[in-house]
Amino acid sequence: MSRVSKAAAAFLVATALGLAAGPALAAKDRFVIDLVNEPSSLDPQVQWNPDSYYVYRNIFDNLVTRDDKGEIIPQVATAWKQVSDTEIEFDLRSDIAFHDGSKLTADDVVYSVKRITDPKFASPQLGQFDKITDAVALSPTKVKLVTAGPYPALLAQLVKLSIVPKAVVEAVGKDAFNLKPVGSGPYKFESWQRGVNVQLTRNDAYWGTKAPFPTVTFRAVPDAATRLANLQAGSSDLVVTLDADQAAQLKSAPKAQALIGLTERVAYVRLNTTKPPFDNPKLRLAAAYALDKQAMIDGLLGGHDKPVPELLTPAIFGWVDGIKAPEHDLAKAKALIAEAGPAAKAEIDLATAPVFDQRIVQAIQQMLTEAGFNVKIAMSDMATYLKRAQAGPETTSLLSFGRWSCACQDADGVLFPLLHKSSGWSAYRNPKMDALLEEARATLDTNKRLAAYKQVHEIVATDVPVVPLYQAVVIYGAAKNLTFQPTPNESMFINRMSWKD
Amino acid sequence: MPGFLLRRLGQALVTILGVVTLIFFVQRLTGDPTYLLVPETATQADIAALRHQLGFDRPLVVQYFDFLGELVRFDLGQSVVQRVPVTTIIASRLPYTLMLAAGALLVACGIGVPIGILLAIFRNSPAAKVAAGFVLAAQSMPTFWSGILMILVFSVLLGWLPPSSTGDIWHLVMPSFALGLLSMATFARITRSALLDELSKDYVRTARSRGVRSGRLLIRHLARNASIPVITVAALEISNLLAGAVIVETVFAWPGLGQVTVQAILARDFMIVQGVVLLGAFVTVLLNLMSDLLYSLVDPRIVLEGGR
Repeated sequence: MSRVSKAAAAFLVATALGLAAGPALAAKDRFVIDLVNEPSSLDPQVQWNPDSYYVYRNIFDNLVTRDDKGEIIPQVATAWKQVSDTEIEFDLRSDIAFHDGSKLTADDVVYSVKRITDPKFASPQLGQFDKITDAVALSPTKVKLVTAGPYPALLAQLVKLSIVPKAVVEAVGKDAFNLKPVGSGPYKFESWQRGVNVQLTRNDAYWGTKAPFPTVTFRAVPDAATRLANLQAGSSDLVVTLDADQAAQLKSAPKAQALIGLTERVAYVRLNTTKPPFDNPKLRLAAAYALDKQAMIDGLLGGHDKPVPELLTPAIFGWVDGIKAPEHDLAKAKALIAEAGPAAKAEIDLATAPVFDQRIVQAIQQMLTEAGFNVKIAMSDMATYLKRAQAGPETTSLLSFGRWSCACQDADGVLFPLLHKSSGWSAYRNPKMDALLEEARATLDTNKRLAAYKQVHEIVATDVPVVPLYQAVVIYGAAKNLTFQPTPNESMFINRMSWKD
Repeated sequence: MPGFLLRRLGQALVTILGVVTLIFFVQRLTGDPTYLLVPETATQADIAALRHQLGFDRPLVVQYFDFLGELVRFDLGQSVVQRVPVTTIIASRLPYTLMLAAGALLVACGIGVPIGILLAIFRNSPAAKVAAGFVLAAQSMPTFWSGILMILVFSVLLGWLPPSSTGDIWHLVMPSFALGLLSMATFARITRSALLDELSKDYVRTARSRGVRSGRLLIRHLARNASIPVITVAALEISNLLAGAVIVETVFAWPGLGQVTVQAILARDFMIVQGVVLLGAFVTVLLNLMSDLLYSLVDPRIVLEGGR
């Protein structure tokens, strides 16, 4: 068959099958991003998952945002002022228009805050904003937020609050808005072909930095090997969620590169301190001595992640330099276990789910077993794992491996849920710890907060309710022509990228 | 014939109801998806509120009868993750799975049946041995591996075919082969044994002694008789292909029902899983019925009766 008739035949079959044969565009005009799954929803207030977040953050503006270094900087709000312990006033930009042309005003901000904090709306993100008790429009460009008591993590949480247009949401309703979201961000929603892709087009009237690509396509490519192949074949320009081995494969690739960034995500082993054997502080200390963080990172993770001595990463407010944590020392671990006698021989379950790196889980089991513990891996699906991990010390497992990110880069979002007795996630009971966490949560004085968190880190290092392991990295694959700085909060703002031919 | 049809339709209804009931209760016994829908930092109160909104805090039996009630009205409910009707999701994904199944069936039959004929007629030739080796190799390769290998060779190395996703007809080539190769072996085997079976029969010897040429014999007599087992297998293979599509669709990011089902299972999106299983049961039952009906069309000597 000649080339022409082949093409004609292909066209006929394609038409018969109802496939759309789109014209091939240059990569610069059409930027293609491979995600793991398609977004679950594009209404920024009804979902919580990374694949949605990657897409909708480019459609919506937030009150405040973080720059690539992690500093909180203005976005819709130009400035803010704490008027009392519980009240904060925001000045808003007056030159922002939504994609339908209407102006963004204080009413939209108030509406967005009240929408997400309404318990009847049941936003999955409610827990991050439920300290906000009221929002008042003082003028078209001025908004006051009221919190229940002093709330130092407010700005850090507001980084995630997208502003939706009141008039549009009220006119079309929740479900229709989800199908055709309208924001004020650098990209406009164009189309969502379920299961295939989400297309965005550049908002040429955007008030801020304009994005380099006229159209952007987000695709769902569940298999990491396929994402890597797409990148190498040039059919995509940016892919998410690669592992260290795949990053190494890109070293010799002519047209692609791996972009690796340290995140705010911290990996840890949590111990249930209320039950034997870990009700014995010496055995908790033995577990800390037994775990070789650097060996896990070098041997299994490609050497990119960074060991941490505290339950935070340097990307989070509350990180304190110079915390002394137990270093790997197998002899000390063995001695402590021998001292404890038969109590240390009890069977310990290590809870995990398939989503976690099983090589790390197995390494933890092996290192603890080598020291003299009797550890069994208890695998369950993610929902069961989460349910059990949040069930409180009575029912939760003795050990669990986890990776934590509050997506807020504030210590309150990490330490309070994992260590305070009121949280289901915590399997630790220490009144001093609870008092320190409450104190740090209730003051706006950053020095006082840091001093409290320093003490928290010291208790973690000596009493070992948790063994902090490492600061996790995020690995992207990208075309060589792309410049993109991975950020600790794993955001992907297209208008911060650039392209060189 | 009408008696047969009625009886079979009745059986089909009971089967489908059984499958749906089973999947409904088994899924819910594993827990509810609320924990997967909220960030890790969510409080127990947030989780309870969302669970209430989704209706998972109601008694299981109430949920079941509500579900059956909706089913009667052809309402498959709403995805708890995406918050869109399940029928919308299935309608957008089904064409892709059908396209893939058709492509795979084409590959399986188009390669499998000729190889089967070759294996039967030229039993001891070197060509038949090579073909038998090819069948064995194709059958032994796991789909996820052959899929990735194809992508590496034809997309990354040679740049001939698009590696994944959809767009034009070329996107369908590799997934169809990856999926079709497994069934190809089945078709080759069944065709071969059916033909051998027919070749040993008296009417073939009689026809040959009358001087009927091999080609004519194959087309006029053997093909019709040997096609009955092949049709049965085709019907069964379509259900197999739909199951195999789960892996192929994941490897090639092909947006069919298989991919959406895997994602729904991982996210415990009950409504989608129920909808897809219901559809799968329906298709399987329908295909079996159709293959029974096809027998009597192909071979009028087969009479379908209700009182079997």
